[in-house]
Amino acid sequence: MSIMNLIKANLRKGKGTVVSLILLIAAASLLLNVGLTIISSMSSFYEHKVEELSDPYVVMMMKKSDYKDENGDFFRNYKGVTATEIEPVIVMPSATMRFGDSDMNTALSLLNADSNRSLGPLQLIDRLGTVPAADAIYLPYSYYKSGGYRLGDTISIAFQNKSYRYQTAGFFESTMLATNNMGLIKMFLSDAAYQKLAAELGEDASGILISATMQDMSQSTRILDDYHKVYPLATEGVNAKFHYMADIEVMKQVSGLTVNMIAAILVAFSIVIVLAALLVIRFRVSNIIKDSVVNIGVLKALGYTSRQITSSHVGQFSLISFIAGAIGVALSYALFPVFGGILATLTGLIWEQQAQGTLILVSMLLVVGSVTLVALFTSMRIRKLHPVMALRGGVKTHNFKRNYFSLEKARGGLQLLHACKSIMINSRQNLMITAIMIAVTFASVFSIALYDNIARDKTAFIHLVGAETSNVAIQSSSEANSGELKAAIDRMAGVKKSVILDNITTTVDGQSILTSVSDDYSKLNNQMVYDGRFPKFDNEIAISWAVSKLINKSVGDTVTVETGGATYTYLVTGLSQSISNMGQAAYLTLSGAQHLIPSYTGQLIQVYLDGVTNTQFMNEVKAQYGDMITEVTDIDATIDSQSSIYSSAVAAIMAIVLVITIIVVVLILFMVVRTTLLKRRRDFGIMKATGYTTPQLMNQLAFSYIPIMLAGVIIGGLLGALLTNSILTVLLTGAGIHNVQFVIKPPVIAGLCAGLVLLAYAVSMTAAYRMKHITPHGLITE
Amino acid sequence: MQNVLLRTEKLCKTFSSGGLQQHVLKNLDISLMKGDFTVIMGSSGSGKSTLLYALSGMDKPTLGTIHFGDNEISKLNNDKLAIFRRNNCGFVFQQIHLLDNMSVLDNVLASGLLISRNKKETAARAKQMLLEVGLGEEAWRKFPSQLSGGEAQRAGIVRALINKPAILFADEPTGALNSAASDSVLDVLTAMNKSGQSIVMVTHDIKTAMRGNRILFLRDGVIRGDMSLGAYEKGHSVERQEQLQDFLADMRW
Repeated sequence: MSIMNLIKANLRKGKGTVVSLILLIAAASLLLNVGLTIISSMSSFYEHKVEELSDPYVVMMMKKSDYKDENGDFFRNYKGVTATEIEPVIVMPSATMRFGDSDMNTALSLLNADSNRSLGPLQLIDRLGTVPAADAIYLPYSYYKSGGYRLGDTISIAFQNKSYRYQTAGFFESTMLATNNMGLIKMFLSDAAYQKLAAELGEDASGILISATMQDMSQSTRILDDYHKVYPLATEGVNAKFHYMADIEVMKQVSGLTVNMIAAILVAFSIVIVLAALLVIRFRVSNIIKDSVVNIGVLKALGYTSRQITSSHVGQFSLISFIAGAIGVALSYALFPVFGGILATLTGLIWEQQAQGTLILVSMLLVVGSVTLVALFTSMRIRKLHPVMALRGGVKTHNFKRNYFSLEKARGGLQLLHACKSIMINSRQNLMITAIMIAVTFASVFSIALYDNIARDKTAFIHLVGAETSNVAIQSSSEANSGELKAAIDRMAGVKKSVILDNITTTVDGQSILTSVSDDYSKLNNQMVYDGRFPKFDNEIAISWAVSKLINKSVGDTVTVETGGATYTYLVTGLSQSISNMGQAAYLTLSGAQHLIPSYTGQLIQVYLDGVTNTQFMNEVKAQYGDMITEVTDIDATIDSQSSIYSSAVAAIMAIVLVITIIVVVLILFMVVRTTLLKRRRDFGIMKATGYTTPQLMNQLAFSYIPIMLAGVIIGGLLGALLTNSILTVLLTGAGIHNVQFVIKPPVIAGLCAGLVLLAYAVSMTAAYRMKHITPHGLITE
Repeated sequence: MQNVLLRTEKLCKTFSSGGLQQHVLKNLDISLMKGDFTVIMGSSGSGKSTLLYALSGMDKPTLGTIHFGDNEISKLNNDKLAIFRRNNCGFVFQQIHLLDNMSVLDNVLASGLLISRNKKETAARAKQMLLEVGLGEEAWRKFPSQLSGGEAQRAGIVRALINKPAILFADEPTGALNSAASDSVLDVLTAMNKSGQSIVMVTHDIKTAMRGNRILFLRDGVIRGDMSLGAYEKGHSVERQEQLQDFLADMRW
């Protein structure tokens, strides 16, 4: 008999286990290949898309009235810039439109679709030729993926109390300004529609878009920093106006952040599944050897070498893992459109995955290699088995040293004590099951925590990003006195509090930093300072953790801040964290900012409401103080819509993680229980002979796994509760986060743990139903 | 009929394998009496173990009925049969079949606590019974693999008797033991029978069969002979052996 025949004979014996193993290993290799592919492709994918779409590396947009030739010249003459384009656009600093299930407020730039441009040309994915030119608008692909728009749909854009309706004529792909998580969206209007709107809105909405490419993509952040050193957002006599900039490195980071977290979860989870499969394989090989010890003796007596017999055992698992790994990898490419959909939601770009030979090889090698190694190590005992010893039934594989849970002395019912004895007998196997349960519970808690904080109650996530969770933001006009406007707003019905929170650009110890200015930081919901405090006095400043590292200054040190030629020295009172602007931020009090720009008052007022809806308040404030206000923004709606892409992606990942957790629990328990039934059929036969009923033995078996599962889910749940924020902190350190404070809800974790234990009990009982076929009569016939 | 403990009517057992049917027990009408030490003899393949397991409710008959007292056990489902066994039957196996992950005392209690909720009293009774069969305190803590064959089988007998069964079934209880160990086990069974315990034992060993007071001889699934012997007493062995050998000779054994 050849080794192949021995393998076939071994496989025939345990068909159920083979099928379960194939499922587990296929799932593991699927997730591994997807995770590795996403992680390895993300950076090159983005860069490849930038090249493919001929997108700029840097964009800057401002009102035409603020634009001077020297602004464009700065980019043209900057070292390393390879191409520059300057074109007129229509700017809507605060436009409202439907996005998904809610209204979204965002800054909007409208470009002429029929203009010639070499940087960021209109790259349509899909178009509808029948839309009349006067109504045609081209929307970013994210509007198709997340916004719910389809070709021919009408989009209504509300701007300055007027609504503009267009018909969707196509969707375009772009790496710049095409997702709603950057605060500015670009859309294209047909020439006829563009000219009509430009004429209607006049000079006030007329803007300039500067686009540039550089020799080195990584220098794109530096050019903007240098620009702000020369042209600060606000200077003496000039308050900050509409000004928007973005570079490809930031876009990559913002889009890649969630994608990489998702990929990390997938890889981590695939490792858990591989470990689970390895546990089952180790268990299975042990049992096969124990069960077929006499056959091994016969084969050895016939002249088979230990290597041949070991190879037949190892071979079957290598064969299973190779087949399952290939199925998993093949399925991963079939399922890439699903994951591609999630990635497209997050990036607004079409993810087309080509087969990557190296990654397929790595995934297969990891899976097949680990399975083969475990099978090989477990089969080693065949070498020590002499033919005579094997023919006599082999060496005793157990070595009982203690009579755990003595039926005489231990407390508890008979079935419980039997279950406890089983736990102690199989302690090594149970430890591994516990480890797997810890891992899957931890992953589930982690994904639920992400879902809870990103998709349900978004406050912690929004605070992490660095945004303030007020209800309404009011931009006062540059002519108005923002202090007086704020005082008036405070007196309005339903206003709980208000605070000035605006931005200026400064250099802090030589580094260009976007600096927040507020009249009272204690009123902010988002207390981003985790060490020390926000500034209270005019000579104080708080800086972000990322800035602190950059300039090597901390709480108690002094820093020199400069803008528009004015400098002042401040004492650092606190360190903050946020993802926005690569984690680089500084915070001055209003009076502190006035040391640099004496006339500066701050124009953006955050309003917090109580007992009045945002819409009611917005209408009221526009009616009463419309002449002092440029824009009123519904912050709640904006947050809802801007975070919707994360919500759907995180919800999808949570669903994937939970489904896989359930599959792992079901398969592991099913295989372990079935194998235990085989291994202990003699014991169960004896017990049945002495009067134990099938339900009693089923419960006994199921109960023997409950404490293990319970321990696993409790430890996993606790670790999840305690470590989720720490792990997120580590994952987000590069993005400027030092201390994630996501809300972990104990009742949710307890519910998950209870659900997993109930599932474990149900699966154990179902798998143990085969106990019915074990008969005391089998003791005689065996 | 007052002393009848177990009664069969037209008991048949057929095994099917690969489309072939083997009729192992054929239309057996047997009555087992209270207090008897019944020995079932026969050559290999005669169906004696099959009969023992059918009588004890470990296996179901293909046809016919088995009555335990007024209850027909042949119609019970597997779980009800298990409950019947725990309440009324004790088993001693040739291969002993102690649970090897439990101490001797726990093996006994694993049966005893199925019925009794009084752990203390059951443990005390188990210890007393173990002492009676010559297993001292040191042996209680041992695992089956640490016992000799005779010790293990005596522990098996205590396990079988812990619930005070109406009937004790023993399948070749000395089949795997040496001579000295066999004697000690048979002495225990004899003593139990003398104290009123009904026993049904399968054996093909004459020396073992001599312990019984009734011998049923089975061949080809049919009872060919039914002989009564007096109660076993030490010292009567030669006469008793001749009587039994004559019977077996008649049976062409």
